[in-house]
Order: sequence, then C-alpha cells, then structure tokens
Amino acid sequence: MKKILISILAGSVLAGLAGCGGNKDLPVLNVYNWDDYMAPEVFDLFEEQYGCRVILDTFDSNEAMYAKLKAGASGYDVIFPSSYQAYIMNEEGMLHPIDHAAMPNLVNVDASYLQQTAIDKAMAYSVPYMSGSTGIAYRESAVEGFVPSWSVYQREDLRGRMTLLDDMREVLGAALKSLGYSLNTTDKEEIAKAANLVIQWKRNIATFENEGYKQGIASREFYVVQGYSGDVMQVIDQNEDEDIVYVLPQEGFSVWVDDMVIPADSDNIELAEQFINFMHDPEIARLNMEYNYYVCPNTAAYAVVDEELKADETIFIPEELQARGEMIRPIGDDLQTYVEAWDRVKAAP
Amino acid sequence: MKKSRGQWILSVPSLAWLLALFLIPCLLVFAVSFRPSGPYGGIGEGWTLETWRSLTNPSYPAIIWRTLWLSAATTVLCIAFGLPVAYAMARMSPAWRNRMLLLIILPFWTNFLIRIFAWRTLLHPDGLIKQVLVQLGLADPNAQLLYNSWAILLVLVYSYLPFSILPLYAAAEKFDFNLLDAARDLGASRLRAFFSVFVPGVSAGLLTTFLIVFIPVLGSYAIPDIVGGPSSEMIGNKIAQRVFNDRNLPHASALSAVLALIVLTPLLAGLVLRRWRGNATGGGRAA
Repeated sequence: MKKILISILAGSVLAGLAGCGGNKDLPVLNVYNWDDYMAPEVFDLFEEQYGCRVILDTFDSNEAMYAKLKAGASGYDVIFPSSYQAYIMNEEGMLHPIDHAAMPNLVNVDASYLQQTAIDKAMAYSVPYMSGSTGIAYRESAVEGFVPSWSVYQREDLRGRMTLLDDMREVLGAALKSLGYSLNTTDKEEIAKAANLVIQWKRNIATFENEGYKQGIASREFYVVQGYSGDVMQVIDQNEDEDIVYVLPQEGFSVWVDDMVIPADSDNIELAEQFINFMHDPEIARLNMEYNYYVCPNTAAYAVVDEELKADETIFIPEELQARGEMIRPIGDDLQTYVEAWDRVKAAP
Repeated sequence: MKKSRGQWILSVPSLAWLLALFLIPCLLVFAVSFRPSGPYGGIGEGWTLETWRSLTNPSYPAIIWRTLWLSAATTVLCIAFGLPVAYAMARMSPAWRNRMLLLIILPFWTNFLIRIFAWRTLLHPDGLIKQVLVQLGLADPNAQLLYNSWAILLVLVYSYLPFSILPLYAAAEKFDFNLLDAARDLGASRLRAFFSVFVPGVSAGLLTTFLIVFIPVLGSYAIPDIVGGPSSEMIGNKIAQRVFNDRNLPHASALSAVLALIVLTPLLAGLVLRRWRGNATGGGRAA
C-alpha cells in the first residue's frame, strides 16, 4: 500500500522532472520497472549516448503491473516483469518479439542460465535482467542458535517478531520446500500439507509483509523475515548494519528472474531494443549489479564485477547450492489450488 | 411532495452524474460477479453462479463478522468519546469553540497514511508506549501491541474520532441547555439529565455520526493492511487480494457486491429512522 503510493508519487515526480528538464524534441523512452532496481547513472549514460529522454514509472508487484496494463494503460516501451508474468503476457499476445539482430549484446547472456533455468530459453519474447533469491534474513544478536532453515518459523520464542511475505507462491513454496516437495507442484495433497504447515508458522509471525519487513528488521521490530536477497542487502548496506544476515534455507528456496520485454503497443521499438541491448553491455550490467546486489545473467559482466560481490555466496550462488533453488513457474489453472490453500491459511485462527 | 419543473431541471446534472459514475458501474460490478473468471485474470464467457456459491466458503463468514464487529465497535467508541467533547465544546465561549475546532481539524494537515504509519512507530515493541505499559505492569514484556484486531480498532477510532465529534458538536450547538437546568430542577441527576435530555436532543447528530463512521469503516483497507496482523483481514483486504494478487475479478466483484449490500442496510435503516423521526417530531411535515 505504502509502496504503491510512493511509487505513484515518485513516478510522477520523476516524469515531471524529466518533462521539464529535457529537450522536447528528443525521442522519449518510457520504462516501467520495479523501484530501486537500476543504478541512476545508467539512465544518464543511456540518454547521453542515444540522444533521448528516459521516463521511469515504477510498480511493486507483477500482478499490480499486469492489472494496470489490462485496464488499458499504454505508452510503455520497456517493462520488467518476472519470468512467469512475462510468459503470461506473451500468451496473451501483449509482447513484441525480440529481434536478436538488433541486440548484439545478447551474446553475453549466460548460456547455462538460459539452458537450465529460463522459461523463455530462446529469448523469443523476453531478455533476462536480474535474478535473485527469496530467503531468510535475521538479526544475529537477537536470535540464539539460528539454523538456516524454514523451521525457524516454528520457534515460539520468536513469536511476534517474525514476518513472512504476503505472497502465496513464495510462502506456500517455502513450506513445500520444507516438506521436500517442488514449489511448482500441482498435487492437491502436497499443497494441502504445505498450507497446514504455514498455518503453524502463522501463529508465530507478526504479519505478512512485502515491503515493511525491510524497515522492520532495520528498526529491530522484527528479528526474522522472509525477503528478497538484494532488498535485504540494500537494507544492510544503507544502514551499515552488519548484525543483519541473509541466508538461503537448507531445505530449499525460490530463485526468480525479472525480464525485459517490449509491449506490442510500444511506439518506439527501436529505442526499446537499444535500451535492452545497453543493459547487457558488461560495464552497464556491472554498474547495476553493484547498485542493487542482484545478478545480471551476463557472462561478460561476471568477469568485471567487484570481487567481493562475486565472492558472496548468497548473491552469486555456487553451483552446489543452486540445486536447492527452484524457480516459480506459471501453472495455469492449477493456480486455483494455491488460491484456495492460501485462503485457508489466511482464515485459520 | 410535488416538485416544480425548476427543481427537476436543477437536479438533472447531479442525477446524471450519479447514474453514469455510480449506479451503472455498481450494476456492472454486480454483473461481473456472475461471469466466470479467465485463466489469466480475464473475464470469461457465459454466466455462472459458481462465484456466489463459493462465498459460503468458511473463510468468508469470519472475515465478514470481523469487519462488522470492528465497524460497530469503532462507531460505538467514536460516539462514546465524541459525545462528552461535543457537550463540553457547546458550552464553551465562542473563542474557545473555534480554538477547539481548529485542534480537531489539525490532524488532517498530515497525510492519512503517514498518521497510520506513525502508529507503527508508537506501538513498536521497543517503543515508548510499550515500555511504559511494561513498567506499570500492564503488559508482558513479550506482548505484541501491533498486528492484531485491537491495534486495528485503536487506529480506526483514532482516525474516525474527528468525524464523530464534528456532527455531534453541530447538533449540540443547537441544543437548548436550559432544558438540562429544567431537568435538574425537576429532580434528575446530572447523569440522568445527560442521557435522558441531552442525548435525545442531539439524535440527529448521532445518526449522522453513525452513517459517516460506520460505512467508511466497513470498507477499510489501508488501516488493517498496515497495523493488522496475519489474522485480522477485513473485506477490503480480501477484495484487494482478489484484484491484485489472484486476478479474479468476478470474485472481487462478488465481494464488493456483498460490501455494497452491507453498506446499503444501515443507510436504508438510517433513512427510515430519519423519516420516522421527522414524522414524530415535525407534526406530519413531509420530509
């Protein structure tokens, strides 16, 4: 809620500033992205190099972004949905195909990522931007005997000081992983078992939070939170608070990728293609990674990125840990089983 | 009861406005609730009663009940706190009345959301209020002040109190306080005079308060979202979940329709009461 309003405000302020400052005759590229996801200097570099103006608008959930587009919002040239959402948008005929000839930097895209993880393996309608994980962040000084496991949510001594995301796929996914199932299962019984486990967890958490957990753990309101890797690392960095630690739970975790897509109704496809290509310039990808602590699947950028960042196993997940990660995939009509399980979780006492 | 042609013409713009931007969209929302949902969040073809049938799912009665009791409790508390304030203000000198009015409106200078977030800081587990309560032995050191239905009730009362004081004060200002002296002369205690003479005297204000507190609280979304916990959803939160997360518009529409029906009930009750009161006191003057 807060995030939505702030995004709207920030979006309009940015749009306003760009509208006043720039030259009116320059071509305009409208970007629709998550907040705090791109190094600010990258915009300046792109504007300079291509003689255009970039206008940024932000969203805080795939579903809200999709709802806005479906309600008739248009005029965007590049959008950053997560892979499962990009898949749905493509199924709905909302995307322009990716022209590889116009984007020479696509050769830098990590081939093993495309082969093993990607939904759109051929980059037919999307190009990956950043990938991250969903794990647990905790306050070292406040949690005794912490074990990197989802079972921390069963600890009654931490009751009221923990949060889970308000996201049914992520939370039920964590429970599915704890039980040893796939987080894309469509087996009704497995999902029901996961819901029962989340109901136990729910008794120990303060609330389901998508945004507030960051401020909550920074202000010592919460000791254990489920969160996105880069978001937590940005909190640690901004507060210079080494007491907060991000871990990948041993039972498994979700990994996700946000893609860049060009909507079919874009007015400026050429500039949009140049923008996507620019994001896979190794130097630009490096700037972005060092800003947001996520990983751009770009082999050439791996070579130039800060060594310290590259050594961090929660950012550049080593191969032996990658097997424990699983990507949330679109599951079509079976989603209804998750919706019902999530309703049961929310309604349980 | 008869209206002149001039009156009709004057009301055409507002009627057209309500028809186009309120009644028709409401009917569309009702209609969508009878359509099936598409796999990717669209609205499917044909008609179905499935959505309405699924409202019997046991999770809904709990949410509807929570929404109702929170709204009723907020209204009762707002009236209970608002009445003495309105009484006191009506007896003040005009200069003090204006100062008090200014103080009551003062919170509106700060954005509604910022005021709700301020409560999160106030009720922080290491915050001042918690520490004072623990020192006084009123709260357990591990107690949670936030993220439960009581926190929602507290912030709802805080947010809506000005909306109850203003109409109550407007009614109390017109009240003839000589009537209280008369009641006392006739042997009524202070309390008895307050409840038997003053309260009925401001009943128009009570009715307005009921309508402008109870109905908006029914549709609350931001307050339970921000200070509520894992078990304190209200209908507004469920509708938002259906629209933004589940992308199930028929389901969201059905819930909105339920909310609209719950809102209409007190509104109609209020109208009937007002008419009845008008007939009783106004000597048959048409309302």
